[in-house]
Amino acid sequence: MRNLIGKSVAIGAIAALALTACGSGRSGDSGGSKSETKGFSADSLIGVALPSKTSENWVLAGDLFTNGLKEAGFKSDVQYAGASTTVADQQAQITAMVTKGAKVIVIGATDAAQLSTQVAAAHAAGAKVIAYDRLITNTPDLDYYVAFDNFKVGQLQGQALLDGMKAKKPNGPYNIELFSGSPDDNNAGVFFNGAMSVLKPEIDKGNVVVASKQTDVKQTAIQGWKAEGAQARMDQLLTSTYGSKELDGVLSPNDTLGRAIITSIKGAGKPVPVVTGQDSEVESVKSIMAGEQYMTINKDTRNLVKETINMVKALQTGATPQVNDTKSYNNGSKVVDTFLLPPVAVTKANAAEAYANDPKLSPLTK
Amino acid sequence: MSRFKDLQKNLFGGTTSNARQFGMIFTLVAIVVLFQILTDGLTLRSDNLIALFQQNSYILILAIGMLMVIVAGHIDLSVGSVAAIAGILVAKSMAEWSLPWPVAILFGLAIGALIGAWQGFWVAYIGVPAFIVTLAGMLLFRGGNQFIGNANTIPVPEGFRMIGSGFLPEVGPSTGYNNLTLLLGLAACVAVVWREFQSRKTRREMDADAAPLWISVLRMAVMVGVIVFASLRFASGRVGTSFPVSGIILVALVLAYSFYTRNTPGGRHIYAVGGNSRAAELSGVKLKRVNFFVMMNMSVLAALAGMIFVARSAASGPQDGNGWELDAIAAVFIGGAAVSGGIGTISGSIVGGLVMAVLNNGLQLLGVGTDRVQIIKGLVLLLAVALDVYNKSQGRFSVIGSITRAFRRDTPAPPTSSSAADHEPAKTTVPG
Amino acid sequence: MSDAPILLEMRSITKEFPGVKALSDVNLVVRAGEIHAICGENGAGKSTLMKVLSGVYPYGTYDGDIIYQGAETRFSDIRASEHAGIVIIHQELALIPHMSIAENIFLGNEPRRRGAIDWKSANRMALDLMARVGLQEDPDTLVKDIGVGKQQLVEIAKAFAKDVKLLILDEPTAALNGADSQHLLDLLRGFRSRGITSIMISHKLNEIEAIADEITILRDGRTVETLNIKADGVDEDRIVRGMVGRELSSRFPDHTPKIGEVFFEVRDWNVRHPISAERQVCKNENFVVRRGEIVGFAGLMGAGRTELAMSVFGRSYGVYESGTIVKDGKEIVLKSVADAIAHGLAYVSEDRKAIGLNLLDDIKASTVAAKLSKISHHGVLDEVAEYKAAEAYRRELRTKAPTVDESVSKLSGGNQQKVVLAKWMFTDPDLLILDEPTRGIDVGAKYEIYGIIQRLADQGKGVVVISSELPELIGLCDRIYTVFEGSITGEIARQDADPETLMKQMTSTKKMQTR
Repeated sequence: MRNLIGKSVAIGAIAALALTACGSGRSGDSGGSKSETKGFSADSLIGVALPSKTSENWVLAGDLFTNGLKEAGFKSDVQYAGASTTVADQQAQITAMVTKGAKVIVIGATDAAQLSTQVAAAHAAGAKVIAYDRLITNTPDLDYYVAFDNFKVGQLQGQALLDGMKAKKPNGPYNIELFSGSPDDNNAGVFFNGAMSVLKPEIDKGNVVVASKQTDVKQTAIQGWKAEGAQARMDQLLTSTYGSKELDGVLSPNDTLGRAIITSIKGAGKPVPVVTGQDSEVESVKSIMAGEQYMTINKDTRNLVKETINMVKALQTGATPQVNDTKSYNNGSKVVDTFLLPPVAVTKANAAEAYANDPKLSPLTK
Repeated sequence: MSRFKDLQKNLFGGTTSNARQFGMIFTLVAIVVLFQILTDGLTLRSDNLIALFQQNSYILILAIGMLMVIVAGHIDLSVGSVAAIAGILVAKSMAEWSLPWPVAILFGLAIGALIGAWQGFWVAYIGVPAFIVTLAGMLLFRGGNQFIGNANTIPVPEGFRMIGSGFLPEVGPSTGYNNLTLLLGLAACVAVVWREFQSRKTRREMDADAAPLWISVLRMAVMVGVIVFASLRFASGRVGTSFPVSGIILVALVLAYSFYTRNTPGGRHIYAVGGNSRAAELSGVKLKRVNFFVMMNMSVLAALAGMIFVARSAASGPQDGNGWELDAIAAVFIGGAAVSGGIGTISGSIVGGLVMAVLNNGLQLLGVGTDRVQIIKGLVLLLAVALDVYNKSQGRFSVIGSITRAFRRDTPAPPTSSSAADHEPAKTTVPG
Repeated sequence: MSDAPILLEMRSITKEFPGVKALSDVNLVVRAGEIHAICGENGAGKSTLMKVLSGVYPYGTYDGDIIYQGAETRFSDIRASEHAGIVIIHQELALIPHMSIAENIFLGNEPRRRGAIDWKSANRMALDLMARVGLQEDPDTLVKDIGVGKQQLVEIAKAFAKDVKLLILDEPTAALNGADSQHLLDLLRGFRSRGITSIMISHKLNEIEAIADEITILRDGRTVETLNIKADGVDEDRIVRGMVGRELSSRFPDHTPKIGEVFFEVRDWNVRHPISAERQVCKNENFVVRRGEIVGFAGLMGAGRTELAMSVFGRSYGVYESGTIVKDGKEIVLKSVADAIAHGLAYVSEDRKAIGLNLLDDIKASTVAAKLSKISHHGVLDEVAEYKAAEAYRRELRTKAPTVDESVSKLSGGNQQKVVLAKWMFTDPDLLILDEPTRGIDVGAKYEIYGIIQRLADQGKGVVVISSELPELIGLCDRIYTVFEGSITGEIARQDADPETLMKQMTSTKKMQTR
């Protein structure tokens, strides 16, 4: 018995010592000043915080970051947010990366507006913050933004929708329905506005008709980019509007939703209209080759990750990373230096060419 | 009685139910030490401790209310949704009706009270099981959040963010530490010592064995040590950071609610209702009032938690509150509450919540993905409760009991109940 | 009879719980075809012994041997013992109220045909089994719709469905009224004549004397003796002596009542059933209580005594219709239990465990539960005051527990009842209503509780005692009301009270006054 008391006291003492030993004075002023000087060591930790593993693209991006950063000689910490408590998870992950002393933190935000506290903390600790694919809003502490030109994505989707319908049926008016992405994703509105910049003139002319009259982004939005949300909305549209009318096209902001929309239409026993998409997901490329989904956008994640890692490398040496847009992206607090990559529209016609370099997709196009 | 039993019995209070808590504190310390080693000292570094409190204060605040709900024999599934709707309304009230932020906080608490009154009404006065009422509330208020917010993210002003991401300010001479945090720590030390002497006095007045003096001293030393360590840590973070405001809110609530549940008739009544509602009713407890109160209180705390989260996130978003009810419920059960009600303590739930929080944080520091973190947390919840259930079914009392059984060599105490038939129980002596 | 072969022998059974030796070296010999009674005070180890026998505590958790049908047996669980033909019928019936009689009889033992339950033959077999226990009901009747007595018969039928050789009954008549008890005892005699062996645990010594062949007495976890009822000429007093280890000169303490003025009156009391509003449970009832008086309420189960008491106690039962309560000359309105307590009423319920105590609490918290205001200052509980109050009652009532920190769930029935009494004495009541205060309590503790009741009356309080045991009422009460079907049918002074008179009025609607 005595032995045990001895043990527990000893353990307590050791623990207490261990704890106090690492306690020291106050860790200087904000480390921000240090990073102003010249880069950081070449084997530093780079944190990457991505949204939940619900889309193939994020999983792919995570793998590419892990490998790419390793090749570049960095230590990496790639994290995904949980499926249900996304925002809180991501906040905690970013904070943990700061604690671990990450020099650059790349964030694919789950909610663009709810990370400013963590970004500020990262900045204060001397880390650079790069917004990946989604712009983080309402923070002056964001350093860079890397993304595909999302307005362009929307424009390509809108144009492809018109082209596709014309190819099927030479003369309008065409009945279409509009879908947009999750309202908490800054990009969703950009896609939608891009697409509408092409479609609006046609709608005004009466050449294209949104038969359900649901044209407001609040009506078209699918919370959380959830497939079941899109499928449910399409089911309801078919019941309410397309009892007798014919549906010619659906503007879908991405592949996951596009396929859900096609599932719904097929379920209702109707012919598959022209459906757009984005992300070049495997199932959608198969669907395009099979003649169901009309188009998708190839935003080659490889290129986006490559550009981001280039930025990290530049920061490491203390150089200023290359950007190509210093005017367009105002996040509410500042105009963020941005590097934009061009997206490519892919239909059955140009699929083989577009995916020639993609080991996973190119076999599907043959 | 052996010294070890003395220690076990007295270290964290005097009653048997504390044995379970002792086990949980033991587990918490073990996990902290484990991660401290695995993360090479990151776990207990100032910035991480501060972040840990900031990240989890809202869940722990929920756990306080949830403990009372569960002790009363109910459950509340709607807390996440209530937090979300309170958050969006408060954010809107400041953004669109330009309420000053202190008024907005009161407004948020009022929303919580109103929602709580609604749920309490159905549970207490109509008799709909809380599971159903709050399941409905979960849908109702989640929908309300999206209806009001149109699923948009609404930023909140700087002043309001204080409650979620603010710190004690820097005042006084430059000591290399945050002075207010040090003062707070000092106050806590004094309080611990004062309380220890109070409780010794109380035990003496009860003619009961006060714990041997060495145990009191040891206990005080341990607690003062922990407090000194923690306050130095919190005070020595990056300049501008210190003990977080949300942590202060949490500590104040824990103290207030612990006092309420332990030391007031109202608190007793909650346990009585959960332990045997019919017996409580026949003892003059106003059943409906108690049930109404716990449900309403939960929603007020949920609204507060929602506001703190919004303040920390600098904006109210459509995902706020998702899954919070599960974290809060898990904390309460890991902390030793009984599913059937009547058993559980605030401090236990806080320890349970901290176990989950440290686990989460430590695994994140190690770079373990959320998928695996969830698996581990699920197993921990299951094992913690299963171990307790198993021990009870074996007639042993607690986790710690089973841990220490190997060390026990004393013969069992003489039969206690009716077999001690004719003689009066031995008179207890009053030591020193 | 004692020449019959031995069916069961338990040798040197010792069972320990952490801190408590529940059984030490207990021996039990049961011969085939006899009715063997086991007696002992609460906590003597009767139930533990039966749990060892039936495999609730499996082999390996106790020391000693069980020899059954000539061979040593080691039961791993209840299924194993049931398979061997040992069936135990617990005090708390293990029936599912919303299932039919037939469903209950075959629960876990359903006759099957091609995987599905064969209800046709189940019902036929159920009828057969029910006939064997003398239960005349439709097998489709739900268990909740039949009385406790018949439910007991269903349990026994269930045992027969499992091909019982040794039937163990734990307090089989505790919840039964006189007629049902008699039927059950007759049934046991019938089983004996058909060669079925029974073990019966009972506190009702008169029943044991009437029916048992042999009796084993346990005290403090040890075997005291095994007696043959006929050969040893055993009577109730002999059993009591064995159980408590001393003679109880009288079952009731001596008492000279000091009766004062009428201080509590209930007038024209009418209450309806809480669910079926057309049923009137209290019909125009009137009664009075004097200071220092112990008033009994006699009646059969279901006569409405509990309902009357609870409806007076802050309308805690039923729907109040009309009637007034007058206390100390003033009319009082008691709309809630809190009102009733505030006006000095106390109600000690019939079912301690279900509605009398919070079994999660310790003695301390239970003692003060009904009047927390008495130990709080400015809304804050005073732990020291709580402890002192509880400790004072523990000493006064001689509650057997090491400290008042002990959980009430660990106490024996008698000591639990003392805690409940303490809880209500703590509220400083003027009128105490005690509903079946000695149910399930052993002889020694009963005597003490009678003493407490008398002391309370001597302090000038009014005490109302509701009891199904007529000797108890006659021995204890100064005056007895009889209740039948929701009406008070008679009022009998102590000197006129005898079982026959009471029984007559308990079973007739005709009002008679023999004041």
